[in-house]
Amino acid sequence: MQTQENVIEIRNLSKVYRDFWGRKKVQAVKSLSLDVKRGEVFGLLGPNGSGKTTTIKMLLGLLFPTSGSISILGKKASDVAKNERIGYLPEESYLYRFLNADETLDFYGRLFNISAEQRNQRADELIKMVGLDHARRRQLKEYSKGMTRRIGLAQALINDPELVLLDEPTSGLDPIGTREMKDLILKLRDQGKTVVLCSHQLADVQDVSDRIAVLFQGELKVLGKVDELLELRDETEIRTGNLSDEAIAEVQAVLKKHGMSEANIQKPRADLEELFLKTVRESGERPGRRFTAEEMAATQPAATEETSDSSASQS
Amino acid sequence: MDFNPTAFDVEAGLKSWLALVGILAGVALAIGLLGSFLSAGAGGAVVFASGLTSYVKELLSVSPRRIFALASLTVKEAIRRKALLVFVVFAILLMFGGWFLTDSNDRADLQVSVHITFMLTIISWLILPIAIFLSCWGIPEDIRIRSLHTVVTKPARRVEVVIGRMLGFSAMAISILLLMGIVGYVWIQRQIPDQVTGANANTRNLLTCRVPVYGTMFFLDRQGLPKTSGLNVGDPWMYRSFVEGNSRSRAVWLFTDVAPDKLGDSLRVESRFEAFRTVKGSDESMTQGLEAQYTLVNNAREDAFSSFGVGAGFREAAESLRSGNFENAAALLNSAAERMLTSPSDFPYVDCQQVAIACELQVVPTLRKVGDFPAVADAFEAFGKAAQQVTADSSDGYSGLSTACATLATVLEENAAELFQKMPKIEVPLEPFRVAEFHEGDDYHEYPRKLTYAGDYEATARFLAKVVSGLNDQGKLLDGSDLAATLVDDLAAAGIAEVNAELVEQVLQEEIKAEHLTAEDGRLTVADGGRWLTFFNNLVREERLISQDPAGWMLEADLFDDLVTSDGVLRLEVACLDDQMYLGMARPDLFIRLKDNMFLTGYSKALLNIGLMLSLVIVLGVTASCVVKGPVSFFFTLTIFVIGQFFHEFMLKLLSGEEEGAGMVESAMMMFQHRNPSVGADISEGKRQVMEAVDNSFLGMLNAASNIIPDFSTFSSAAAYIENGFDVPWSSSVLPAIATYVGFLVPCVLIGAACLKFRELEAK
Repeated sequence: MQTQENVIEIRNLSKVYRDFWGRKKVQAVKSLSLDVKRGEVFGLLGPNGSGKTTTIKMLLGLLFPTSGSISILGKKASDVAKNERIGYLPEESYLYRFLNADETLDFYGRLFNISAEQRNQRADELIKMVGLDHARRRQLKEYSKGMTRRIGLAQALINDPELVLLDEPTSGLDPIGTREMKDLILKLRDQGKTVVLCSHQLADVQDVSDRIAVLFQGELKVLGKVDELLELRDETEIRTGNLSDEAIAEVQAVLKKHGMSEANIQKPRADLEELFLKTVRESGERPGRRFTAEEMAATQPAATEETSDSSASQS
Repeated sequence: MDFNPTAFDVEAGLKSWLALVGILAGVALAIGLLGSFLSAGAGGAVVFASGLTSYVKELLSVSPRRIFALASLTVKEAIRRKALLVFVVFAILLMFGGWFLTDSNDRADLQVSVHITFMLTIISWLILPIAIFLSCWGIPEDIRIRSLHTVVTKPARRVEVVIGRMLGFSAMAISILLLMGIVGYVWIQRQIPDQVTGANANTRNLLTCRVPVYGTMFFLDRQGLPKTSGLNVGDPWMYRSFVEGNSRSRAVWLFTDVAPDKLGDSLRVESRFEAFRTVKGSDESMTQGLEAQYTLVNNAREDAFSSFGVGAGFREAAESLRSGNFENAAALLNSAAERMLTSPSDFPYVDCQQVAIACELQVVPTLRKVGDFPAVADAFEAFGKAAQQVTADSSDGYSGLSTACATLATVLEENAAELFQKMPKIEVPLEPFRVAEFHEGDDYHEYPRKLTYAGDYEATARFLAKVVSGLNDQGKLLDGSDLAATLVDDLAAAGIAEVNAELVEQVLQEEIKAEHLTAEDGRLTVADGGRWLTFFNNLVREERLISQDPAGWMLEADLFDDLVTSDGVLRLEVACLDDQMYLGMARPDLFIRLKDNMFLTGYSKALLNIGLMLSLVIVLGVTASCVVKGPVSFFFTLTIFVIGQFFHEFMLKLLSGEEEGAGMVESAMMMFQHRNPSVGADISEGKRQVMEAVDNSFLGMLNAASNIIPDFSTFSSAAAYIENGFDVPWSSSVLPAIATYVGFLVPCVLIGAACLKFRELEAK
């Protein structure tokens, strides 16, 4: 259940990058004002160079605002104490590559002054959660990009944070990882945590976000609930079981009677992500077998059931 | 190398450190405030105050656990970056180093020195580059690959990152140092030759740490008067002062805090003097060198009255005071008091002023220190003040001086016996030795606690008074009213030759018969109620106790009971015995040795100093890396190290004027004009003033640099001690090294933390 309490308050935030001589190079963020409410998943969207990451880094105190103010969990961005309650997954997992997964989580846990027992327990849970149990003793330099993102996510959650900042969380992940990441974000929301994610993977943001903001060249262009922003108010979609040709003709006749002369009635399609996930799942159950298009099509709806709550279109 | 250790003054060091840090803090705050105004305009003060508050808050909320976590990470990083490969190089050097070092020198002590030097040098110079590289690249690399961003988005304060890095790299360097040190210790033990050769082959264990005690030093001239320096034999850069052979000229060392628990049961003296010949002599004498002699002196009268006779008018009285003949001194002063009124010119103004100074600075303080003669001290004080009243152009002051002099004479006469008793003069000349002109190593002599020597009149009288009164107190002197039959045996048991013991018995018998001694209640007393010392002193001076033993009165003195003063001072005088020859010496040339320490003790201290040096390099490297990138930081740290190690002393000499030369511009001008410093550059007065102003500003910068750049030679001094077979002194080597490290650590941490905090890690 969302409350109206603001976890993040940004007011008239601007950031100008300057060169060595203090001359203006680029204005990355221009008079940005927005709030993030407790318990929501907030998506920060925009093309490359739109100021998403700059905003996140100003929230974390890695960059200093040129003007404007930031309040995060009731504290200033420059106050290190706020970090006790924040988890941050950087754009790329900036971790110590000579450590293994256990050591990595242990190290970051120690920065939170978590006791050794708790650290071990938490590290164990997180490593299993991100699916790196098999590689926990390998140094990070031997990890693939996806594995690095996973351990990056684990370190962001080591302190069981109230606020999670995820910068391009699905970058470098395969579709399974992407799906798991999205599931995890929703799980975090269900646990009452606030999640801010910035990405240019629009579909990913759409799937999980309650509200979004779209930035372009440092300016806020759109801000609102995803459902409201994406709703097509002048169209209606009806979804049902498989219809015979006669039934289709009858439906079209009814629609024509109500003045809808060009109704589009066709077999629905799963997206490629769903196809991929099903293939991988089936391959795991029946190794060495190749699937025909008919076989895949026969069970398509099953693939969409998992995400029907959040992804079923109403427009 | 120069062994002239000066104890580190912690209080003065702390004061100058606080002043310097205060100035630096002021400059940093001013720059910060200016920067805030430039970047934030009118609101700069608020921004500055907010930043400063946040900075101080972070400093106060430092967590040791997080620092330890960061330090552990640093150690892991260093290990996984193959820093330990340095051991391979170390092992190779150890494996083959011995080939070139063994038998590299004929002298065993130098061989030991070579091995120790080799070991400490390779340890230092192998770890040093690692320390600089790691410390300078650690944080910049963290920033480059952005792993630091992940850390600082956790609750880790940036000051913790700085301290953690410093601590981690230091722990790494010190761990390597310890391992190498242990291996090195075993290697040195195994490598030094078993066969000992050389001049001191049988006199000292080569792998020990001598613990020297250096004294203060002054000279006595050929009249026996104290001087701050001896003769100069023509060396323009005189380091050693010379004493003249076969004269009263002496070099005198005073050692304080001399006690049996420190020295053990012997006195061990080491020296290295310079022999200077004025005649060639025979081949044999050239080889043998000059003859020198130590004399141990306990002379309270010399301490009190040596300067009293600097003026000719009081010289005779001073001689009597120094010889212990206080009655005669009183008579001479009485006579002087009369002559001051009748013939004041015998006591010129200069003499009066000198005697006033002697009273104020020497006589009165010494008498008050002895403590038993307040009346005498007061009389001397009054006399000195009266002498001070004498003026050059009037005879008015002589009346007061005469009165004070007469009073002094009366007081001296009244206390003569007591003064003589309490102010002894014992001189124990030790066995003469040769100082070779081209000698190997130091001259080493060890003397037992009980010293046998040929006594002079006073020493004989004191000795006999002590022995006879001791026997008397024990009731062994008399048997009824006659001298005990066992007296000769008892005297012999006290160390007196039998023939002399018989003489003493005979003289005592005569004195009893003459009723100068009285037997009462089994004890013998001096008839006139006088002291035994006075009694025997009179006998000796009447030559009734001339030694029957051709060797003279061979007496025994206890080093600590008889020769060390009540306040623990031992006086050792060095004389040259060869006529027309000179012996040169400086303060560090002679020292007494306390109980030796194990080699491991000094070696550990040397390693500690190396560890502190490496840690300081790391501190500087990490601090620099908070401001600039790795390569710049590396060259910055290396430059600071090279200047601090090799040129710091030069800078100080330039600033103090000890290193002669002109300012930078003036020197360049003189080089251009082919002129030397004695004539200076050929330029107009106006240009000279400009030039000097510029040079002075450069000197100001040099002064600042000399304060900011650490003196790394402080750390290497420890190695020099053990290379030369000495223990590393705590107060003049280890303590300054610790103080230097801590002194730079604190500001470096603050600077590093500030630079990291107020910098945008993501700045593009």
